[in-house]
Amino acid sequence: MSDEVTDAGRRARFEAVAGLVTEPVRRFLARRTDAETADDVLADTLLVCWRRLDDVPDGDEALPWAYGVARHALANAERSARRQRRLAYRITVVDPPSETAPEDEQPDDRVAAALARLRPDEAELLRLWAWEQLGPAEIATVLDLTPNAVSIRLHRARGRLKEILEES
Amino acid sequence: MNDRNEFDEDPQLRAILGQADPARSLTPADPQGLARLLEDTMATDITEETTTPVRQRGARTWLGVAAAVAVIAGGGFAVASSMGGDEPTTPAAVDKPEPAADPVVVTLQAPTLAAKCAMPTPEILAQFDTAFSGTVTAVDGDVITLTPTETFAGDAADEVDIVGGMDGRALGGVVDFQVGETYYVSAMGGQVSACGYSGSTSDSQLSELYNVAFR
Repeated sequence: MSDEVTDAGRRARFEAVAGLVTEPVRRFLARRTDAETADDVLADTLLVCWRRLDDVPDGDEALPWAYGVARHALANAERSARRQRRLAYRITVVDPPSETAPEDEQPDDRVAAALARLRPDEAELLRLWAWEQLGPAEIATVLDLTPNAVSIRLHRARGRLKEILEES
Repeated sequence: MNDRNEFDEDPQLRAILGQADPARSLTPADPQGLARLLEDTMATDITEETTTPVRQRGARTWLGVAAAVAVIAGGGFAVASSMGGDEPTTPAAVDKPEPAADPVVVTLQAPTLAAKCAMPTPEILAQFDTAFSGTVTAVDGDVITLTPTETFAGDAADEVDIVGGMDGRALGGVVDFQVGETYYVSAMGGQVSACGYSGSTSDSQLSELYNVAFR
């Protein structure tokens, strides 16, 4: 098989995968980080898809796989960002945010605040369930768990969220 | 899917969460920018050994063209298994890489000491200054090259080289590094641990250890 044919085949396969995952991964990242980081991590995710094209699952299963890649890439990006922020705090004085009365908060903020009070893995389960709208097998792929574990933990996480929402 | 119906129970909570979805007001992607991104991605040479992307982008530590090598000098390191026994030797001074746009390549020493090992514990793992999971991209003589996927401790690097192993069988033959497979690797003072703190990511006990140590 000539290099040209292999190359064209590879490009076609990648474009098909990119067509499937780019927009959903874009939204996934927009929900979890700032615009600049989201752009960078999207690019990194697509790069992994290109490099590891042979590992990408067929069909629709490519998407949960891509979410998993994006998740790892995002974690790495946040680690670097945290370190840089820590340096900044040593030389600048940070104004504490003013108190917001609970009644002032928009419903969106209430939910965001509630999610922030959950353990990170619980919050992520709920996001994948409610925002990415993934089923248990798909969430299992993204988080590298069994579907069973996903169902159990998700049930618990929903209960916890409801408790917190009722408190506020 | 039938299981999705049971799984979906609680439409109310879903709707509440849906209201707070930050992507609801997300503007569509610029098609031209996207096309350029895909082209740039496909222009990356996948046959290169290093994982240097062709793209040049902002001031992120793991993007760029030239590879800057940060060598962490390997020092003897008393394995953490001797709880309260030997004093750990002070790691040699570390040259910190510039926080610029160059990707970071880290070199670690494979362990040379035959160490006496106790059962690995998450408390000890949590003390390692370097820990990550990554995929082996090359095994060349006594150098094993990995691309980190997730970094739990230490600087996030683009590439990690473990030197001093023998044909991929570093860590005294306990871990057999195969190209394309994924492994946990942890190191202290530039030296990879020899006592069950590194291994395949398919090892569920090891995964659990890392989950607990770096929660």
